[in-house]
Amino acid sequence: MTDKRSKNEIIKEHSHQLRGTLAEGLLKVETGAIAEDDQQLIKFHGSYIQDDRDVRGERGKKKLEKAYSFMIRLRIPGGVVTAKQWIGLDTIASTYANGTMRLTTRETFQFHGVIKSNLKRTMQSFHNICLDTLAACGDVNRNVMTAANPYLSKAHQKAYDLGKAISEHLLPRTGAYHEIWLEGEKVEDASRPAKKDEEPIYGVHYLPRKFKVVVAVPPDNDVDIYAHDLGFIAVVEKGEVVGWNVTVGGGMGMTHGDVNTFPRTADLLGFCTPEQAIAVAEQVVTVQRDWGNRENRARARLKYTIEDRGLDNFRDEVEKRLGFKLGAPRPFTFTGTGDKIGWRQTLDAKKASEKMWHLTLFVENGRIKDKPGYALRSALREIAELGICSFVCTANQNVILANVNAKAKAKIEAIFAAHGVSLDVSSGLRRNAMSCVALPTCGLALAEAERFLPDLVTALEESLDRAGLNDDDIVIRMTGCPNGCARPYLAEIGLVGRNPGLYNLYLGAAFNGSRLSKLYAQDVDKQRIVSLLEPLFISYSKEREDGEHFGDFAIRSGVVAPTPAGNQFHADVKLV
Amino acid sequence: MTATPLLPRNAPFLPEDIELLNKVVARTTPQQRSWLAGFFAGFEAAQGGGLAQAVPAAKPRAPLTILYASESGNSEALATKAKKAAQKHGLDAKVYDMADADMALLAKAKNILVFAATWGEGDPPARAADFYETLMSDAAPRIDGVRFAVLALGDTAYAQFCATGKAIDQRFEELGGVRTFDRVDLDLDFAKKAAEWTEGALAKLAPEDTAAAGGTVVHVDFGGAFPQADDDEPKYSAEQPLEAEISALVNLNGSGSTRETWHAEFAFEDPAFTYKPGDAIGLMPENDPALVDELLQTVGLGSDAALLLKLQKSYDVTTLSRALVENYAKLTGRDDVKALLEGEAYPKFASDRQLLDLFLAYPEKLTPDQLTGLLRPLPGRLYSVASSLKAHPGEAHLLVGAVRWQSHGRDRKGVSSIYLGERRKIGQTARIYVKPNRHFRLPADGHTPIIMIGAGTGVAPYRAFIEERVADGAKGKSWLFFGERNFTNDFLYQLEWQDYLASGDLTRIDVAFSRDQPEKIYVQHRLWERRAELNAWLQDGAHIYVCGDEKGMAKDVDAMLVKILAEPLHGDEDAARVRLKELTKAGRYQRDVY
Repeated sequence: MTDKRSKNEIIKEHSHQLRGTLAEGLLKVETGAIAEDDQQLIKFHGSYIQDDRDVRGERGKKKLEKAYSFMIRLRIPGGVVTAKQWIGLDTIASTYANGTMRLTTRETFQFHGVIKSNLKRTMQSFHNICLDTLAACGDVNRNVMTAANPYLSKAHQKAYDLGKAISEHLLPRTGAYHEIWLEGEKVEDASRPAKKDEEPIYGVHYLPRKFKVVVAVPPDNDVDIYAHDLGFIAVVEKGEVVGWNVTVGGGMGMTHGDVNTFPRTADLLGFCTPEQAIAVAEQVVTVQRDWGNRENRARARLKYTIEDRGLDNFRDEVEKRLGFKLGAPRPFTFTGTGDKIGWRQTLDAKKASEKMWHLTLFVENGRIKDKPGYALRSALREIAELGICSFVCTANQNVILANVNAKAKAKIEAIFAAHGVSLDVSSGLRRNAMSCVALPTCGLALAEAERFLPDLVTALEESLDRAGLNDDDIVIRMTGCPNGCARPYLAEIGLVGRNPGLYNLYLGAAFNGSRLSKLYAQDVDKQRIVSLLEPLFISYSKEREDGEHFGDFAIRSGVVAPTPAGNQFHADVKLV
Repeated sequence: MTATPLLPRNAPFLPEDIELLNKVVARTTPQQRSWLAGFFAGFEAAQGGGLAQAVPAAKPRAPLTILYASESGNSEALATKAKKAAQKHGLDAKVYDMADADMALLAKAKNILVFAATWGEGDPPARAADFYETLMSDAAPRIDGVRFAVLALGDTAYAQFCATGKAIDQRFEELGGVRTFDRVDLDLDFAKKAAEWTEGALAKLAPEDTAAAGGTVVHVDFGGAFPQADDDEPKYSAEQPLEAEISALVNLNGSGSTRETWHAEFAFEDPAFTYKPGDAIGLMPENDPALVDELLQTVGLGSDAALLLKLQKSYDVTTLSRALVENYAKLTGRDDVKALLEGEAYPKFASDRQLLDLFLAYPEKLTPDQLTGLLRPLPGRLYSVASSLKAHPGEAHLLVGAVRWQSHGRDRKGVSSIYLGERRKIGQTARIYVKPNRHFRLPADGHTPIIMIGAGTGVAPYRAFIEERVADGAKGKSWLFFGERNFTNDFLYQLEWQDYLASGDLTRIDVAFSRDQPEKIYVQHRLWERRAELNAWLQDGAHIYVCGDEKGMAKDVDAMLVKILAEPLHGDEDAARVRLKELTKAGRYQRDVY
């Protein structure tokens, strides 16, 4: 009998609960890389091996191996870090990483450029500020996102509490993380067989593929709930969360040229009470663990399990394992996926004295660094050192300075001003722009993203100016490959890299993140992107209905066909 | 072919007589030559002079003790040459490295010839340090009446020019020695002057009138007198370098590195150009034409293209020395230049300045002859060879660290490294020669484990070592300790080390990258971490090699080795030092430092 399972399944099985030969690999000082199988396993520990693709060409000639380094992603449920933790992270960025902190599209930080000899120290430095990277990547439940800013309202706090509880409940129980990174030389004897009971939820094989959970508080869909495997939508009555609508089966990743793969918006599964939520999360995970595709990783996400097995079957199985039925979904409305840039007050505090301020700071592409004339990183560190706020990473790669006393507002504004950091954003498009990291570090990137999107937005701003749309919110997202880290298929303007300098252009997604886009043009370069979009901007400006968003206009005016569900993503494509 | 016993050119006859005699001798049979020998001997005996029977027989000869203190091998080479030359002066010479000599040797000596190099800031060569210290101390024996002469080697670029030779010369006199021939202090262009001095010194030290001793049969050392190829003498030298083609030239440091280290491969066809791992290759550089041009402009010789070329290729146009300033003061008659030589003015001015700075600060118009008269010849630069000739026949590989710095508001460039890195291209040629270094050699036995410690370009000879061992099929264990600044961009020859580890040709590697983490980690720290295994390797007879910068690394490694050796000796560092010296004497601790 041939083993049809994917290679990763074998690697997991033989890894002794994620240990592999990572500890030994760290001791091989002649290389900055680790063994091939360990490169898969280290993801579960929150890290990817990468190499600087900008210099690949010269390395061999110089008798050097690839310029390997590691990306380390943190697990920060809800994206909340204290001022003290911020200072610690900032220090790590310059001590071990490339001097920048990268806010991701999933409410956490990535650090790039950590070389192997510093991996352990870096992990320990995170540990010292009570943070970890466990399960930030890999075939497990990843970082749990919750509606930005737990301090905004009681419901936001509940959403955060649930997200944090789910993150902890679904955390791998293996001792590998502590043994390899924190304690030193105590790695389990690799010759012993893997113990299933070390992982009561995941077992020896963990999940077939990554698994992403979010918690939303309407009307904001900042967490992009339809793009995630499992979602909880707060049902709020009189300011109290009375339960959660549950969504399943969303996901972005696809493969160019393979129509069996597609992005998919999540389905509503049902309703659960606050007490049931953790159990629901666990059983959705166990059904996916048992039903998910372990032969083809390109079709291993929960979205395909539900697509293939049907939502009703899936619900039945979850309910069977839960031992109770889910309720009927309650009505809800989402208005948008973006962040509200600028100052905002606590929504539901009774006394005026309890009304704290929260500043959502736009961070282009989520990259926190100092540039000449724009010392963002220094400004944030200086503010952190004052200890006058918490920090909340958002799903839109921005950061919120939360819980600021009214008196401290001016101080924060002055620090930003002194560092050349404006609190305004040049356009509604830029405000809603998001990109993945792509080149030079990401091994999957087929084209630029983070290094290109700002320039493209600048070019499009001229078109928007001409169309009089400068301040209108239009969502634009770019990724360097089709895997969709910046959730491009849910953007009104989506750009997905195909080749260096060439992108697929997708249009027609809903502004509130509930409808996918449709391919509009293939392999277009910067100039072509601008020349295709400018006439659309102009007609949108002239012909739009009251309050109509650009994505909806693109459907109504027939620019692209609508994509009501993931399995329709590749249908009705008419390229320009 | 049978050798014909021709009279050597130094035979005690007029040159034209030597020619005449050789014409006759060349046609003689062995029988005829025997007859001649008997005839002359019998004739002398009949006259009642000289020696009655012995043919050939020497009159009593004088012993000569030749001592050298060598770092890079120059003094050693001069000492070896002097030993050969001594024969014809009636001196039976023995050559001693100060590293192996003790005071008893001095006490016994009758005639002493010293070749002493000065290292760094006026220090004796490392291997001679003990001898030198004892000589300068109260423990030194009296050498009343002992005849001596000292040749000092140095580099005028350093303030304490020839300090070691000067001190030994003075000390011998204090101890009662008789200076028979005046000391000479030589700069990097020493070859010709050293040969002349040696002849002069030997002639003075020689027993009275050997050559003129009428009626005696002069001892002829046939082995030494007949011209023959000298195994130790490379065909190519600084004076006669080889023009080799540059077949590869690459900066090994990755983009974004703070370092610039050039790997250069030289290709040649002459099989006489040979070297061994551990040897140095000399590179004869050329000066930066832009710098020469500026220099010429400054002294009012700006339009002289021929002179520019001459200076570019043949003269040292960067080094500032006290002697040069003295000459410049004399030449120009300037009081302000003269003032530079008073008190502490000179070292203060010379610090991090070059010749151009002198001319710019005290500008004068010079004639071409005046200018060249101030300059010393352009010296070659030595680099430990990074290849094995067995692995790369017809090639020599060098690893050259680019030297760039700023001083007194100017960008400065290393003469040789930047010549190679900036102004040479693949396909062009450069002039190279071999500088043997028998004090940095692989163990004769291929099974002997080797521990190789190097930082930066100090890793070069180890590449040659491993290549040689692979070519020889030597199976001994090997362990490399390598240090640089950053792992990602400065791991010199990384892919090659990986291959050698994979094939087992390199047994172990440890690395220290000083700038990858907040605290500085250097090779000596790695040595300490591995001290138990290192001691075990030494128990197994391992040889230790250290190559690299003395101040930046070798000194600290040396101190760390003492600590490591002290561990099994209950922490007794004095005993460890003795042990390290024993290892040095046994050739098991070899250093190539600069």
